[in-house]
Amino acid sequence: MAAIAPLPQPDLAATYEMPVEQVSLFQDAWNRIRRNRLALVGACIIGLLFVTAIVSTFWTPYPVWLQAVGPTYQPPSLHHPLGLDQAGRDILSRIMGGASITVQVGVGSAIIVSLIGIPLGLLAGFYRGWVDTVISFFINIWYGIPDLLVALILVFVLSDALHLIPRGVFVIVLAFSLTRWMDVARLVRGQTLALREREFVEAARMSGARDFRIVVRHIFPNALGPIIVQATFAIPAAVLFEAFLSFLGLGLPSPTPSWGAMASDGYHGMDFAPHIVLAPTIALSVTLMAFNWLGDGLRDAFDPRMRH
Amino acid sequence: MTRGTATYIGQRLVLIAITTVFVSSTVFLLLHQIPGNAFLNETRNSPEAVAAALHHYGLDLPLPQQYAAWVRGVIHGDLGESLINRGVAITPLLIRETSVSATVGFFALLVTIGLGLILGVIAALRQNTWVDYIASSASVVGYSIPSFVLAIFGLLIAGHYLYIWTGGTFYYVPGWGKPEQIPLPALALGLPYAAYVARLTRASMLETIRTDYVRTAWAKGLRPQVVVIRHALRNSLIPVVTILGPLITGIITGSVVIENIFGIPGLGKEFITSILARDYNIVIGVFTFYAALVGLANLAVDVIYPVLDPRIRY
Repeated sequence: MAAIAPLPQPDLAATYEMPVEQVSLFQDAWNRIRRNRLALVGACIIGLLFVTAIVSTFWTPYPVWLQAVGPTYQPPSLHHPLGLDQAGRDILSRIMGGASITVQVGVGSAIIVSLIGIPLGLLAGFYRGWVDTVISFFINIWYGIPDLLVALILVFVLSDALHLIPRGVFVIVLAFSLTRWMDVARLVRGQTLALREREFVEAARMSGARDFRIVVRHIFPNALGPIIVQATFAIPAAVLFEAFLSFLGLGLPSPTPSWGAMASDGYHGMDFAPHIVLAPTIALSVTLMAFNWLGDGLRDAFDPRMRH
Repeated sequence: MTRGTATYIGQRLVLIAITTVFVSSTVFLLLHQIPGNAFLNETRNSPEAVAAALHHYGLDLPLPQQYAAWVRGVIHGDLGESLINRGVAITPLLIRETSVSATVGFFALLVTIGLGLILGVIAALRQNTWVDYIASSASVVGYSIPSFVLAIFGLLIAGHYLYIWTGGTFYYVPGWGKPEQIPLPALALGLPYAAYVARLTRASMLETIRTDYVRTAWAKGLRPQVVVIRHALRNSLIPVVTILGPLITGIITGSVVIENIFGIPGLGKEFITSILARDYNIVIGVFTFYAALVGLANLAVDVIYPVLDPRIRY
């Protein structure tokens, strides 16, 4: 009896493409975002914004506050590419200075919103029960308020009426964050609720980890992707809030080159010098657009299922 | 309307009342941290006059008593009187201004939903054609442009350049009272949100038109408008309705700056004017109105929700 011919063994390596290396969340996100053209354009604009902001702290063509560097309301020229405003200040210099304000407001708000929202969300999601009930109640109440207007009142009372905090970037960031922490808190709460049931949390508990360690070392890092996305979306909202306040004359005080305040200046002379209002409004719109594009890109990259 | 719905609406109304009291109390207490004299305008110099004025407004009482008096007033629908214009009752003033703001807000909402839905549906139906590309690019750019920037551009074009181009025969005059003064503010307020609604509608419509039941509707030979509107659009509306709440809040807060730019005598203009004039009683009153409005608008949205999605019951 002839020996049974061995069955041809399929070449496993050729048939199935084995994962060559483990891809971390951030590498995976990076790979996806590289293919998202809009997000890349947004990232480039944001890069330019940050560079401008840094450069403007050391150098601008003219000092941002210097008046009468030429005739007032002068339209764009070779010396002053964006023209001069109603006080004869160089608009290009002021736009550059405004970039710095914008970055401070945006990044500052993203950080403080996270500092308020993440602990509350972690607490509510991890301990559930009455802690969750209380925190969720406040989240719901806060969602029902006209947030921007409460923030506006906060800025007004804290700096103008009580003189507790000088009117500046910090008070705006604080007021914004106190009224807009719910998005982050709600997101973190949801993530924590889901993550705390996972096996790795159980394993950590089995090995004797305390609550604090489980939350900080196991749950928080796994919720980081969506948190970054949410924090990114807080930036354009804060930037818009600052522009909104300054436009109404309740934001940063006068010589500060805030884009909103510049738009307000230009608005009054719009009929004969439209260049003054156009420069800051376009800068503001492009910045908001860039942050929204990057935010959308990040959201799709970190969680492709979580599409709006 | 089932019994459950009624209970639900009742509960929500209670929550709205709580939120309104919470918000306006916070603002009341915040503003009353400011020393009492600051509540009065600077023209009254003699100590007797100041004391008389403080007494007139009850500002010489301890804070808890002032607060109790204020809450009693609010329950009776009385928000007190203006600090700057003595004798002007705030409630009727704000009701009149709310109707103006509501008109602007209504048309802005019309722009948002009408234009947003139409653009979104058309873009989805003509996916990957030039129509889709134009509509999608417009919405991707549009939802980042803040409404006050749109308002400025609108004024610049319709007020300034139109005046020049038409030689002063046809142009926009900021203000309120004539029907032709409605569209520009409504567009400025509604367009950014319309762009957002268009994006949402397109995405959800693209999913819906590929489902089996829509294919069935096509297959049994229904007219295109019936398939699109009654079958596909109705289900695609669900994600759009979920953002209606924040959207209405956005329109209400956005109207503050829009009313100031266009000179519309609504709640938003009153709000800023009163803050700058330090007429704190009006500021507190406006807040009470805004908090109630935002709450009621959100409630209205949640009541519409089960009409579109019968799976949701309260």
